[in-house]
Amino acid sequence: MGAELGTTETVLSLDRVTKLFGTTRAVDEVSLSIRRGEVFTLLGPSGCGKTTTLRLVAGLEHPDEGEIILRDRVVASARRRLFLPPNRRNLGMVFQSYAVWPHMTVFENVAYPLQLRRVSRAVIRDKVARVLDLVGLGGLSERPGTLLSGGQMQRLALCRALVYEPDLLLLDEPFSNLDAKLREQMRGEVKLLQRRLGITVLFVTHDQVEALSLSDRIAVVHGGRIEQVGPPRCLYEKPASAFVRDFLGQTVILQGRVGPASGEALRVAVELNGSMSGRILSGRLAASVALETGAVAHLSIRPEDIEVSPLGSPSQQANQLPGIIDTLSFVGDRYEARVSLGEHRVVLFLPRAREWREGEQLQLGFPPEMVSVWPA
Amino acid sequence: MAGLTEAIEVPGARRLELQGVLCTLVLALVALVVVFPLVLVALQSFQVAPPGQPVRYGLDGWRAALGEPGLRTALVNTFTVTFVRQLLSLPLAVLLAWLLARTDLPGRHWFEFAFWAAFFLPPFTVTLSWILLLDPEYGLLNTWLAGLVGVHPFNIYSFWGIVWVHVITGSLTVKVILLTPAFRNMNASFEEASRVAGAGGLRTALRITVPVMAPAILSVLLLGTMVSLQTFEVEQVLGLPFRFFVFSTTIYDLLVTRVPRYDAATALAVLVLAAMLPLVLAQQWLTRGRRYTTITGQFQSRVHRLGAWRLPALGLAAAFVVIVLAVPVVFALLGTFMKLFGFFQIADRWTFANWTNVLGDETFLRSLHNTVVLATSTAVATIVVHSLIAYIVVRTRYAGRRFLDVISWLPFTVPGIILGLALLWLFLGVGFLRPLYGTTALLVIAGVIAGMPLGVQIIKSGLGQLGGELEEASRIAGASWWTTYRRIVLRLMAPTLLAVGMITFVGAARNIGNFALLTTSANRPLSMLQLDYVAQRKLEEAVVVACVIMFVSLGGALLARLLGLRSGSLG
Repeated sequence: MGAELGTTETVLSLDRVTKLFGTTRAVDEVSLSIRRGEVFTLLGPSGCGKTTTLRLVAGLEHPDEGEIILRDRVVASARRRLFLPPNRRNLGMVFQSYAVWPHMTVFENVAYPLQLRRVSRAVIRDKVARVLDLVGLGGLSERPGTLLSGGQMQRLALCRALVYEPDLLLLDEPFSNLDAKLREQMRGEVKLLQRRLGITVLFVTHDQVEALSLSDRIAVVHGGRIEQVGPPRCLYEKPASAFVRDFLGQTVILQGRVGPASGEALRVAVELNGSMSGRILSGRLAASVALETGAVAHLSIRPEDIEVSPLGSPSQQANQLPGIIDTLSFVGDRYEARVSLGEHRVVLFLPRAREWREGEQLQLGFPPEMVSVWPA
Repeated sequence: MAGLTEAIEVPGARRLELQGVLCTLVLALVALVVVFPLVLVALQSFQVAPPGQPVRYGLDGWRAALGEPGLRTALVNTFTVTFVRQLLSLPLAVLLAWLLARTDLPGRHWFEFAFWAAFFLPPFTVTLSWILLLDPEYGLLNTWLAGLVGVHPFNIYSFWGIVWVHVITGSLTVKVILLTPAFRNMNASFEEASRVAGAGGLRTALRITVPVMAPAILSVLLLGTMVSLQTFEVEQVLGLPFRFFVFSTTIYDLLVTRVPRYDAATALAVLVLAAMLPLVLAQQWLTRGRRYTTITGQFQSRVHRLGAWRLPALGLAAAFVVIVLAVPVVFALLGTFMKLFGFFQIADRWTFANWTNVLGDETFLRSLHNTVVLATSTAVATIVVHSLIAYIVVRTRYAGRRFLDVISWLPFTVPGIILGLALLWLFLGVGFLRPLYGTTALLVIAGVIAGMPLGVQIIKSGLGQLGGELEEASRIAGASWWTTYRRIVLRLMAPTLLAVGMITFVGAARNIGNFALLTTSANRPLSMLQLDYVAQRKLEEAVVVACVIMFVSLGGALLARLLGLRSGSLG
């Protein structure tokens, strides 16, 4: 074993792992590494291969190419024809359906993995009680697993996966079967638990809010490949591809032609119909590609970064476009407005500090540092 | 990465291959006893030389099957009987299932259970009890009506007699017990939307409920057709006296005469097999697409109030329960105490002698012993074999699993008598299997094959409901495959497996068609003994044996029900 690497020790690494279903490459040369104590999330739309990746790590699928290394042990290697079955990988996993065994009580469900590890009865009782108390299931240990609510089942599944202190906890869309309010609460609980116990987590979800709020790092998966890896904020603010940009959060996209650069910012002439054609917006070049002058380009900005002000405000500057409020809904803490920007429709949130009207003309400011320019 | 040198290497690839070998072994075995015999049957249809003479190939058998008037009539009879049975039983079954599942019919759960029990009645026993009522000369119903109108209106030894017995044994009950859960699980909002739109109860049932259920109904119709083509004893008992043959009795006839016509018999068999295969494929296709019409589980479907129709509906359901369950049970029992079976008019007609005769008979005791050994072994073998097949089909990625799935359905495509014939060839034709001929083991194999479509189907749907994640969770928690199978799969599947064992036990105890050609005096079970008694015109003894089988069947039905098997898992 190499020297202790401290906090940056790698718990799991995947080296060009590929999984074929028929001729489809469900997982396509995925490489990643997860450090001790971090929450690493695979985020992507359904069918993108993220769950298959998780199942490969768990040992529920055999990789067709590549290697999986868990705490310095090769647990699966297609080339060397190695495969360690799931029961010998010391992982914890919470399934989407929770997979609470219906013929066992809450206690028996949690005790099962400890029994398999030949832990003495007294220690089992002690450990199970402690972990059940940790998630507030203390009083329910004799209840049949099937007589629990969705949230309780999920806590039970979590207990069962944590009680034997696995090297890595796998979460497969664990919140998707809960209602919205419970989902938010469980998210908080899991994060708290993870920070307290310092467990390493590989988390799979299609829900970007879950991913952004829970993760230390996110890998956006698309078509079996990893599009981008990074901390949530970095992914949100500096997406490396159009897919990541559109998958995370809302974006407003305008089309234009690239004009001559001025300083840091790239100037793009916006092509909108009517009054707006010929207006110039500046932004930074998004991905590491070159854009020729005159090339067609997309301008992208997060709606919340658009600065909204009523028409005729004093701050008449560059990088502004006019807009009109089509419909306005009051949703409590703010207004939700559908604003037309030429032929585009944009949903913007307006502060309730001011009265807004449907049909009102707006000035929409596009701060150049928030605008990114993409090849069309 | 320095740590890599420490990696533990596990020969996983070899483990994978082992699983593949195991699956291939199962597939090969199942193919040997199911597919290979059927191929033999097909080949045999071209072998025209009489038994004992040098092998000669030709088309005489096929010419006979297609050309000889007797054989052609048998084919026509088969399809006419099947068609008329389905035509009569389907609308009735839909009506009864709708009443039991979607209305406030009083006691509907009891009615459902009664149909479930009736499904388990051996057709042979039912036939005998209806002879008591509808015999042209002495039948109780006939003599009673003759007192009123002066003529004997019914004759059970007729086309309509055969159709009647079929409708109330196989055709109706199986459809009711399969359709009732399907109707119950239907999303009620389809019906409610129709009611809100202004349609009455009857119009809603006809315009919405039945069309929405069409795939389920069609699938049950196909299944019913296949099940009904399997029986052989009804025609054997009722058809013989007036020379009415269907193909299964014709085949039997061709085979048990002094010079067996194997070529013609097998040619007929191949024709039927060819006709049945599309039905099986259609059935499988339908059940696959059925999901979208029905919603299971949490859905609480509201029932339709019958109102003024409550009493007539109750009367109708009760009448059918009397016909399919009470009449057969009561009259079969009554028949066992008659000095002369069917003669209610003679003086001093009741006796216990039949019971004492049969129970004291050496032959009966030997057959009883054979049946107990046969049924128990078949049940145990079935649980092992069918669960293995179901597990491979549902849970593994084995390349041949689709093929295995189709093979497990094949026994449904061939009438029992042909399967028996096919196995006969297998065991006489393949050298190392020949010693098994005349043993109970041969009958056990036949029983396991005969029950395969139903058994595998039930276990498959049980495994499907189990959800693979329950097993995967156990593997990840640190359990080996075997521990997982023992502590999770078997524990959760135990009721289903026991129920399948129970059903197989009953099936083996009453099976005639599959065993008819495979029994010798050494391994003859009760079901064949009763047929032999009939052939010797000892109807009193036959009905005693039939009653014993009937009680075994009803006991099995009750046990399977208590073990938690619901008819819904049969489809």
